Amino acid sequence: MKRLTAYVLLLALLLAGCGGSADPDTAQESIQVIAMDTAMLITTYGERSPAAAYACEDVIRDLEAKFSRTVEDSDVSRLNAAGGEAVAISLDTFTLLNQAQHCWRAAQGFDITIAPLAAAWGFAGGEEYRVPSREEIDALLTLVDQGAVSCTSKTREEDPADYEDEASYTAALGPGQAIDLGGIAKGYAADKIVKVLQEHDVPRANINLGGNVLAYGDRPDGTPWRVGIQDPARADEQNAFAGVLALTDSFAVTSGGYQRYFEEGGKRYHHIIDPATGCPADSGLASVTVVADAFKTQQPWNGTMCDAYSTALFVMGEEKALEFWRSCRDLVAEEPLFQLVLVTEDGRVVVTEGLADRFALDESSGYTLEVVS
Amino acid sequence: MRAFPKLRPTAWDGLVVLCVAALALGTALFQWRGGSSGALTAVVSVDGEETDRFAPAELLEAPRIYSANGYTLEVCAAVRGEASPLDHRNSGGEAGIRVSRSDCPTQDCVHTGTITRGGQSIVCLPARIVIRLEGGTVAPDAVDAVLG
Repeated sequence: MKRLTAYVLLLALLLAGCGGSADPDTAQESIQVIAMDTAMLITTYGERSPAAAYACEDVIRDLEAKFSRTVEDSDVSRLNAAGGEAVAISLDTFTLLNQAQHCWRAAQGFDITIAPLAAAWGFAGGEEYRVPSREEIDALLTLVDQGAVSCTSKTREEDPADYEDEASYTAALGPGQAIDLGGIAKGYAADKIVKVLQEHDVPRANINLGGNVLAYGDRPDGTPWRVGIQDPARADEQNAFAGVLALTDSFAVTSGGYQRYFEEGGKRYHHIIDPATGCPADSGLASVTVVADAFKTQQPWNGTMCDAYSTALFVMGEEKALEFWRSCRDLVAEEPLFQLVLVTEDGRVVVTEGLADRFALDESSGYTLEVVS
Repeated sequence: MRAFPKLRPTAWDGLVVLCVAALALGTALFQWRGGSSGALTAVVSVDGEETDRFAPAELLEAPRIYSANGYTLEVCAAVRGEASPLDHRNSGGEAGIRVSRSDCPTQDCVHTGTITRGGQSIVCLPARIVIRLEGGTVAPDAVDAVLG
């Protein structure tokens, strides 16, 4: 009996010990933020998780004040109202405009000067949805040219050592142009949030900036974060996925025509406008997900890249998107700069080989899986 | 060395041991199953501030109306895939909540459909209202975040 009692008490001690949550890494803070025209959920872990989560919110609010089209004195609002004149901008806006220029040069389909056309369709916020006439579209297409946007850094030219001086950055648009950074700003915020999390020694975090996900570290149980890709064919069901990604230290961004749309005359018009046609892109793709590493890379702005390329590749279509994927190599890691999950309108899920072992098709979706190299 | 006297355990000793073991097992199970997940609860926030909290079943009695920033929306009980909020009692489907109507211009909150599990949310950006489900049983295949 004494031996039995000893065993039972030992078992009790072990069970109680296992149930404890003394590990500071499991402390958690979760806050919801409405900003940048979307709802965001920031979940951080670790001893400094509350401070980290609110520091992330501060970053988002600060960037929104600079990038918003509706905040009157934002850099973007002042640029759009300047009639082509040069405007002093912040270092963040200067940096993001340069990154946008890089993406625009690299990939057709992404253009921040699409703003007047998006507004004409009612997708800029505030306006009613409508189908513009062909004449109106053609007239507005003449304003779409990101090559006309110029950025200047006086200090970079005159004194590279004083590059951090924000007062010396300026930008100008072409006459009549307007820009919208909505297709790239959340990615830029994700890049900055990585630095905030590092500064706060956060061991893990799950940052969802309205569909832009930063899977930072791993889950508390040591496994990768499980990130579902919404099934575009069942967009009104929140548990309906095309598949699930297992991600650690990664950015992932999805663009799809099912996210924001309206119907007129029995036809659906979505919000991703093709800069070549001025109309919603019709490329045969239902959604594009771009995944990139958050740390092991030569370029420190993979979040921005994922955001911009998810839109660009949606416009390009499957064939050109895969061709583009093959052409983009990380010269340090000697591997593709990003990976893709393409959901096609004809019922296929196309996954690039770097994600093959990190993607699980949702069998209930009815899609067929293809892995490409 | 003098031996300790032999003690005969009584029924009370056994009861104490069983209570300790049961308490430890209960504590461990509570922690392993997610600790404080609790019952499924809908949390409504406006501009990031919590304004209401209720059990989804309360919507069976009457839908709830929320107004903010010039827009009004109605939240009702629903079953995923069904249009009528009260048809689900014998359907065997997954019960949840949805925005049944809204006067916002985008209607994204209405298009979101029915949410049924903890972690899911419905967002009305024009009204800056977020309705989020918290707690409930966490499915083993649950995702941590959703793209799209």
